[in-house]
Formats: sequence, C-alpha cells, structure tokens
Amino acid sequence: MLDRVSQLPKAAVFAPVDDGSGRVEVVVRRLAEAIALGLIADGDQLPAELELANALKVSTVTLRAALAALRERGLVETRRGRGGGTFVLAPANPSTARLRRRLRELSTSELREIGDYRSAIAGTAARLAALRASADNVARLRQVLGRLDAATSVGDRRRADGRFHIEVAAAAQSVRLTRAEIDIQAEVGELLWLPYGEAVDPREVVRSHTQVIDAIEARDPARARALTEEHLDKGIERLMEFHWRLVASG
Amino acid sequence: MSDRHVDQVADRVHTIVADVFRSLDHVLASVVACYRASGSFACADLAAVRPEIFDCLSRTHEVVAGAGVIMAPGVLADRRRWLEWWQAPPEQDPVFLNVDLDPDSLDYYDYTAAEWFAVPERTRRRHAVGPYVDYGGTDTYMLTFTVPAEVDGRFLGVVGADVRAARFEALLLGVLAASPTQITLVNGEDRVVATNSPRLPAGSLLPDPGSDRLPLPELPWSIVTGARRATVLSA
Repeated sequence: MLDRVSQLPKAAVFAPVDDGSGRVEVVVRRLAEAIALGLIADGDQLPAELELANALKVSTVTLRAALAALRERGLVETRRGRGGGTFVLAPANPSTARLRRRLRELSTSELREIGDYRSAIAGTAARLAALRASADNVARLRQVLGRLDAATSVGDRRRADGRFHIEVAAAAQSVRLTRAEIDIQAEVGELLWLPYGEAVDPREVVRSHTQVIDAIEARDPARARALTEEHLDKGIERLMEFHWRLVASG
Repeated sequence: MSDRHVDQVADRVHTIVADVFRSLDHVLASVVACYRASGSFACADLAAVRPEIFDCLSRTHEVVAGAGVIMAPGVLADRRRWLEWWQAPPEQDPVFLNVDLDPDSLDYYDYTAAEWFAVPERTRRRHAVGPYVDYGGTDTYMLTFTVPAEVDGRFLGVVGADVRAARFEALLLGVLAASPTQITLVNGEDRVVATNSPRLPAGSLLPDPGSDRLPLPELPWSIVTGARRATVLSA
C-alpha cells in the first residue's frame, strides 16, 4: 500500500518550500493537504527532522514549529524512543476516501464546468447584492462570516462557508440564485472543503469574504463580482491541482 | 401630496394588511387560550390551534399563502424549536410546512434570527417584513406579517402570515396602473414592495429617497411619488 503511493506526488510534497513569508504556515499546509489527500498514508513515518528540513529547504526551527502545529491538529504524532519519530495520523474518515475517489474521477472539463457555473451564479449574486442588500443583509453576512471565523472543524467551516454564499444570493433578492447556490453547495460543498482537510487556510477565506462584504456594503457591484470570481477561480484551481495529484498517485 | 391615486394605493394597502392582521388576531387568541389550558405546553397541544389557522387561510385565501405559529425556543416541553405552519395551495387543503430544524444542516431554518421573529420578540409589537428571499422555509420571495404572542410578559413566539411578493403586487396592480404619476410603495429599508415604474422592480432599492413621501400608519412602509409617467397604462 505504501509503495503504491508513487514517488511523484511525494516528491512534490517534499519539494523545497520557496515561499519567502509564513514558512511555518506553508509547511503546515503542504503536509496537512498531503495527509488529507492520502498522499502520505496513515501510519507513514515522516523523514527525520533534519532530512525533512533539508528537503523542504526550511530551518529545523521552522519545521519543528510546523510539526507542533500538525500535532495540535491531530494530524501527526511523535513517538519517543527506539523506532520513534513523527507518524501520520490520517483520520479514518470514509467520506474523505469517497470524496478523494470522486475528485480523482472528475475530469478537468467537469471541474471547469463546476467552476464556470459557480462563477456565473455567485458572481452575479455578489453583483446584485451590492445593488440590493439592506443594512440587515450586510449584518447577517458578517454574522455568518463570524461563524466561519470561529469554526473549529472542517464540517463547521463548510457549513458556514456554504451559508455565506447562500446569504449573498438572498441579499441579491433572488430566489432562483439562492436555490441555485443551495444546489451548488449540496453538490460540491464538501468537495470544496474536505479534500484540503485542515489545510485550507480559513483565515484566507475569511479575508476574501470580508472584502466581498465590504464591496457589497460600499455598493460597488463590479468589485463585489470581481472579488467573488477571483476567489472561486482560486478554489477551482486548487481542486484541479488536487485532482492531478490524486491521478498521479494512482 | 393630495394625489387621489396615492390615497387609493394607501387605502388598498391598508385594507389588505388590516385584513391579514385581523385574521391573525384570531389565531393569536387561540394560541394564548391553548397555552393557558395546557399544564405542560407540548407540541401536540398545538393541534387545538389548527382550526383557527385553517380558518385564517380560508378567510384570506385570495391573499395569504401560508400562516401559523412559530414557537420561541424552550416554550414547548417536547420540542426546542417548532413551526406549526400551514401553506394554502390554490384549490387544495392546507399543507404542513416541513423545514429543517437541525442546526447542523446546510438547509437549517434558523428562524430565531429572522427579522419576522426577532423584531416582534424585541419590540413586542406587530411587524411586516419583506419582500425577502425566504430560503430554507418556503423558497419564495415573500412578505411576512407577524404578531408577538405573549402571556403575562412571557414571549411564546409569533403568529404570522405569508403573502407572496408577486401576489401582493398583483393586488395593487389596478390602483397602480391607473395612476398617471409614478407611485412606489417601499418598506422600511426603502426596498420596493410594489410600483408602477418599470425601472424599479419589486425587490430593488429606491436609488434616492424622494421628496414626496407618505408614511403609512401602523406599518414601516411609505409611498413615494415620482415624476409623471411617460405613458399611462390602461385605467
């Protein structure tokens, strides 16, 4: 089983981290994603600290901080003594396996279709919300975003994020767009959050959604739409990236 | 502002809304009686309120799409949250509205945060909300009228009635079409409830507050009069 995880994605997982800022975060995200995607399997031992730090081209201090963060999230555990080291604790979640399979089986054209459709619905909803949202609608959006910010589990994040998009469509005063957004969330919501596991940076999503709410409140429809489309494009790009990694891992 | 067309619209709105609230008063009385009569107020006790809800629906069937009682959390002994809500499809018996009351669900109907619930709870006064997208509930563009139910200062929930935004507009069509001037009925947030201007469809926000404004009594609504319309629709 271990051997079946081909060297290609693993090589990508352990390739040097060249992002100049927030290196700890980058390392955490890279490893957490790989664990969530099953690229490094449950029980796998990570390379020794020095070796791993060298491979990632980060300092051992950075690596240790990253491993501590992963331990805190319950994604790895460190065993002491003979045969000790850092081991992967992949959550035995059947739905993760199912989603992984689904994401691998989706073609890039299907993923693109999902992205195109989401963009059309959510982009238009954001534009219309900027024209039609009341102060109440805006307050509600901020409240839902607060829930996303405070969420501690992937499930809570997914729900709050889905809720955010649905509330934008409701603020646009459109029953049809709201219905479409609910359908989209039901169809791909778990795909958008689960495969990244804890690796998606929720703060980044909160930041992006905050900008959208600000544009809606400022009654700037073009900006609300552009920001929304940009955010969704990034999301679909990540899905495609994961799709390819899963395909490469066989 | 002594335009007789404006007065006609104001009268028509008042009549429609007063009818709805009058019907709700019967439901309210029945909820209060039901609460006082039952020792530990439980979900099944609300069956006693149903005849009043059905009466309300049949009395107002030209206007109201749904009506019922929405309980404040913790009031019923056996359900934390509950909607005793019935919809009235044309020519059919009332249908119970099933909503998702599971907080973990994406479709969760978080009604205590809804304006039609939260405002009467806070002010203890009747309220009119909308038009708004009622998602998770009826999935319709809706106007909702609610009245707080309280006994000895204890807030039990609200009794309410839904009127489809499209239906409300249709009820005003005659008086709106007859007016040579632009008449726009807006709610408290300046959102258009009904209008005879094609540039301001119901649901859009009034771009500028307008100088000719007639606030309506007992409702957070106003009638805004604009410039003369280019063409008068058939009277």
